[in-house]
Amino acid sequence: MASRFLKSTLAAAMLSAVAMPAFAVDLQFYFPVSVGGKAADTIQSLTEDYVASHEDVNIDAIYAGSYTDALTKAMTAARGGNAPQLSVLLSTDMFTLIDQDLIEPFDDFVTDEEGKEWFGSFYPAFMMNSQTGGKTWGIPFQRSTPVMYWNKEAFKEAGLDPDKAPATWEEMVDYAHKLTKKDDSGNVTQWGLRIPLDGFPYWLFQGLSTPAGAILANADGNKTDFANPKVVEALQFLVDMAKKEKVIEDGVTSWSATPKAFFERQSAMIWTTTGNLTNIRTNAPFDFGVGFLPKHERYGAPTGGGNFVLFKDASEDQKKAAVNFVKWISAPEQAAKWSIATGYVAPSPAAWETEAMKAYAKDVPQAAVARDQLEYAVAELSTYENQKVTNFLNDAIHAALAGEKSPKEALEEAQKKAERVLKNYR
Amino acid sequence: MTAQDTSLAARLDRVLMTFGAWLLALLWILPLAYAVWTAFHPSAYETNFTLTAPLTLENFPKAWVQAPFARYFLNTMILVAMTLSAQLVLSTFAAYAFARLKFPGKTILFTLVLLQLMVTPDILLVKNYETMGTLGLVDSILAIGLPYFASGFCIFLLRQTFMTIPKELDDAARIEGEGLIGTLWRVYIPLAKPTYLAFGLVSVSAHWNDFLWPLIVTNSVETRPLTVGLSVFSMTESGVEWSVINAATLMTSGPLLVGFLLFQRQFVQSFMRAGIK
Repeated sequence: MASRFLKSTLAAAMLSAVAMPAFAVDLQFYFPVSVGGKAADTIQSLTEDYVASHEDVNIDAIYAGSYTDALTKAMTAARGGNAPQLSVLLSTDMFTLIDQDLIEPFDDFVTDEEGKEWFGSFYPAFMMNSQTGGKTWGIPFQRSTPVMYWNKEAFKEAGLDPDKAPATWEEMVDYAHKLTKKDDSGNVTQWGLRIPLDGFPYWLFQGLSTPAGAILANADGNKTDFANPKVVEALQFLVDMAKKEKVIEDGVTSWSATPKAFFERQSAMIWTTTGNLTNIRTNAPFDFGVGFLPKHERYGAPTGGGNFVLFKDASEDQKKAAVNFVKWISAPEQAAKWSIATGYVAPSPAAWETEAMKAYAKDVPQAAVARDQLEYAVAELSTYENQKVTNFLNDAIHAALAGEKSPKEALEEAQKKAERVLKNYR
Repeated sequence: MTAQDTSLAARLDRVLMTFGAWLLALLWILPLAYAVWTAFHPSAYETNFTLTAPLTLENFPKAWVQAPFARYFLNTMILVAMTLSAQLVLSTFAAYAFARLKFPGKTILFTLVLLQLMVTPDILLVKNYETMGTLGLVDSILAIGLPYFASGFCIFLLRQTFMTIPKELDDAARIEGEGLIGTLWRVYIPLAKPTYLAFGLVSVSAHWNDFLWPLIVTNSVETRPLTVGLSVFSMTESGVEWSVINAATLMTSGPLLVGFLLFQRQFVQSFMRAGIK
């Protein structure tokens, strides 16, 4: 019975293959979803728009779970000889994908001049995680950056100017002291600040290490700088805020519960992704502000999110069609539509100049904060064997927060471990 | 020790046992209770447990429209029904052969079947995908179930059960003129019913809940199961809306829960008889 079922399935598959028009190029494209709203529907409708106006191409946009699921799915399919032609994957997976020899740079499919114009049309901060060794491996699509949200009502109650965010580390600690409220028995009812560090602590930590003046990894992805005294200073500052100043909750707070803690006034200031803007705008029962992460030696924050990558295992026609599609979907009009629907930062200055985006920025001035911070943004930590190396840093941050090791010890150990892995890639 | 002491000790023992059972039951029901609470209340009451909180049903339609759940339900039903029936048919024959027939290489073959129990399916993702690709089955419901059809666990369970059935019954059936299939059908299968039921529960819940393999091997709405639909709610970047995600969870696990409550007694009994505790 099973074999008859198998045969009929096979026959059906063959029939449908024959029925396709011979001249159309078929493309498969995987996309992950990690924000709320109608993100998946928006991608589908953008793809349909493109296919409707381009008869020579069929695009199958396939939802692939979270970023991690999407990477697993794409790598499994590629090893099984059935890679998609395109996928949106974390920009930090670039070195892993290059190392596995799965992706191809976009440069070969455009002339030098076109390339310069196209790759140059995005914010340079987003290209840092997209280019290495003089080649462009990723095109920015769903990109984000962390920002600070603050509760204006809480600011007023504490006697602070509700329209002014703390600009420096000292100011932030000072404000946080004023915003931390205790009840009669000494329990904290409102924390001054919350920096959630559970799932991927390195990301928000980069919001401290970058202002401290450190860059965690080089552009070739084969050397880290975890033991830099400036990184130690940043981690010490974080630990002090919890243990000495007692303005952030001791221990590791959860990322996904952070917006909720903000709505319920358990934290007056929070650090989280700009991707949360729509969520906070709909649910916060008070006026809130959005600001840069405070500066120390300088302003600074990491970028984050996903890029388009081009898989190697495809015909020339498919690759050309894929590149054309990416060109179209990353163009200002489409990027603006995507950004407004999801809250991701539109990746090119030109997208911010479109009518739709201008109207949105006027309606939601907070959205522009993330864009303005990009001027100071740096690459998200990304190296070869990314998960392993990033975890060394994550463990160090957690160990220091738990008081198991001093920040210096923890970071030196992380650096040593990273060295052992990365020296093979030099 | 006096008689009074013993009865006191026995009573204390009973009280402790009851207390322990209640505690475990509470721990077990807590996540479910929380899911029910959040699913039927507006999101503002996710962490405030006020008894007077307004009840609402709006989380369910909100969750329902986020993915084509009706189609996913159908796919999951087809998947678990197909997988379970294939497993039962194949394993019954294999188990009978291992339990009662004599053939060369029997021990080695059975060891190989047992080895299957020690390999986690995740390790085989790439290989399985390659096989499905070669068969041209990628993106079909058959591809999700096929790697699990020859279940080592089921063969093992049934073989153990078949071995406990007295050989005399088998002989008697043969003398009455039953062939191999007839003996299997009239003697072995009826006597192994508890095992079938127990394995059925394990298999259905495992395939109902499986996520990664179906996500990888399927691409379209027509083939994807419920778990893939459920995953659109895990929004790692923008935080989780517990009320909606729990409404969706209740919706998708509902049939399993209802099934379990209905057949609870049989399940528990069959587990006791099949020796899996």
